Amino acid sequence: MNHSFLQGKKLLLVDDEQELLKMVTTILKDDGFEHIILASSVKEGVEAAKKEKPDLAVLDIMLPDGDGFSLMRQIRSFTNVPVIFLTAKDEAVDKLAGLGLGADDYIAKPFLPQEFVLRVYAVLRRCYKEEAPLIQLEASMIDFSRAEVNRDGETLALTAKEHTLLETLARNEGKIVTIDALCEALWGDNPFGYENSLNAHIRRVREKIEADPSKPVSLITVKGLGYKLMTRK
Amino acid sequence: MKAFGAYLSRYLASFTGIVLLLVLANLIAFGWTFYGVITKDHGSISPQTMLMETAEAVTLDGFTEEAAEKLKDNHIWAIYLDANGNRVWDIDAPEHIQSRFTIQDVAQFSKGYLADYPVFVWNTNDGLLVLGYPKDSYMKITSNYLSLRAIKTMPVFVSGMFALDFILLFAAYYFSKRKIIRKTEPIIASIEALSTGKSVSLSVDGELSEVAGSVNRAANLLSRQNTARANWISGVSHDIRTPLSVIMGYAGRIAQESTASIRTREEAETISRQSVQIKELIQDLNLVSQLEYEAQPIRKTSVRLSALVRSYLAELLNAGVSDAYTIELDFAPNAEAVFVDCDARLISRAVNNLVQNSIRHNPSGCAIVLRLICAATSVSLCVADNGVGLSEEKQRELQEVPHYMESIDERLDLRHGLGLLLVRQIVLAHNGTMTIESVPQKGCQITMDFPIETF
Repeated sequence: MNHSFLQGKKLLLVDDEQELLKMVTTILKDDGFEHIILASSVKEGVEAAKKEKPDLAVLDIMLPDGDGFSLMRQIRSFTNVPVIFLTAKDEAVDKLAGLGLGADDYIAKPFLPQEFVLRVYAVLRRCYKEEAPLIQLEASMIDFSRAEVNRDGETLALTAKEHTLLETLARNEGKIVTIDALCEALWGDNPFGYENSLNAHIRRVREKIEADPSKPVSLITVKGLGYKLMTRK
Repeated sequence: MKAFGAYLSRYLASFTGIVLLLVLANLIAFGWTFYGVITKDHGSISPQTMLMETAEAVTLDGFTEEAAEKLKDNHIWAIYLDANGNRVWDIDAPEHIQSRFTIQDVAQFSKGYLADYPVFVWNTNDGLLVLGYPKDSYMKITSNYLSLRAIKTMPVFVSGMFALDFILLFAAYYFSKRKIIRKTEPIIASIEALSTGKSVSLSVDGELSEVAGSVNRAANLLSRQNTARANWISGVSHDIRTPLSVIMGYAGRIAQESTASIRTREEAETISRQSVQIKELIQDLNLVSQLEYEAQPIRKTSVRLSALVRSYLAELLNAGVSDAYTIELDFAPNAEAVFVDCDARLISRAVNNLVQNSIRHNPSGCAIVLRLICAATSVSLCVADNGVGLSEEKQRELQEVPHYMESIDERLDLRHGLGLLLVRQIVLAHNGTMTIESVPQKGCQITMDFPIETF
């Protein structure tokens, strides 16, 4: 997927470890992000957020003058910026997620740079998705804002379920999405027993996006596990 | 009630022994002390003997000196009455004793006292011999009769009383003993729990509260030490994470750096891989210590195992696995819909550790199968590979030798992987069992069995 419009986003990083800030900045810059603001305390973080109005804040939980949660509360009092927490406690990750603090993601230290960048993209894409409405596939192009597929000059409408299905796959582009996750996206919690319906939807989507639906190249089956959507680079 | 029966049979014998011993002790004490007093009553100066001897030595006309001497020696007086109740003679009779007795008088004193002297009578051919013992030397029972029926039922009555006494005594014995056992039972159970390293809290009142207090203090100390240890491990692992992030970040970046030489990139790749291993090691170490010291509560939810395994595998494949490895799912149709109450994160972690073990021990690649089989009361989650497997020796070691986290042995060579220990901990925390099967050069299969609710 094309990330360029996301790379223009302004990121705020708050961590008291200078080395870590430097490393994360390097990784993000390597990946094309240009606007990166650094802060190393709650106080600096709040000031930077007020002044620079970032599009995404990455906050460490343990800061010298407070914790990341209070920093998030203060930032959220004047802006709705998405927040990713960095935590050095792995058991904390799902505990925090369960707290429902309203953070967009949690990343446990230590992390691989690729993983970090992907999570940043995922949050950005989720929060600013109206800016990424077009997905180019091998044989067709999906326009999510219009719920249409364009193939060989022909326009095919997507049903609501097909739209959700493709959107879920596109969000995890190139990655396997399990049958269970797809069913959940389509039918909500406890989506047990919908596997056959899912197959039917997959078949209809392939008829719209693939040149040869019996030999799919964009919407690929991973046997027993799920599906993945391959886009054209 | 069954316990009561067992208790009875266990203690009745010893109790009966105690009662018999008591009876014996009574008899000995009686013989020692009271016997002497009693025999005196039946000895040479007892009324019975004295009457018989004196009667032989006296007649209506008088008495022998010998008999008189003996009576006098024992402070006994005597009178002799003829058939009409007239006193014929006397030996030392007190002055106020009359000389003529009516039959009413005779009937009265022969049963009891004559002028407060306990008297005893003896019929001779010519008259009645009356012996008077000193005042307050004998007590005479004036109503000395019992019905025959009472005499006949006496044995039944006495043995019944003894039986009742026996039962009451035993009941008292049983209840006091049971009370003690009741009070000591929780203390003993706690001490047993303590010896396995579990935390306990006792509340016992009464005489044993001090003992309970000591047990509680010991438990408290133990649990504080465990918590401190878990916190220490968690603190260290916490502090390692940030520097490790920096290492992983730069290594990852160098590995991607197109201007770097291939060798540099490969080396960076290795640093990256090893860092990931350190990361997993810290996570395992932390988790094992948390589970070991029960510092981390298990958050069980109803989880569909098939979905959990699929989600795990998708994540693993998405993160990238070398082409040398194939990982497949093999779910029995009836296992597809099985829900298990478990901590999804921990189960994923266990599966991951097993898969990573297979990958690590087979650097040249192998085929891994994740299998799900459902039986009547349990579900088996199994990770199998066709790799190098484990030697018998290694297998035995894994089963028997404690991990260094649990070991107090200094022999480092006996320590084995933290990963497998964590799997075992997780399985145990879910009341499951873990089995390791392996054939060298054929592969290795580790099965985790979890109990399920029967539908």
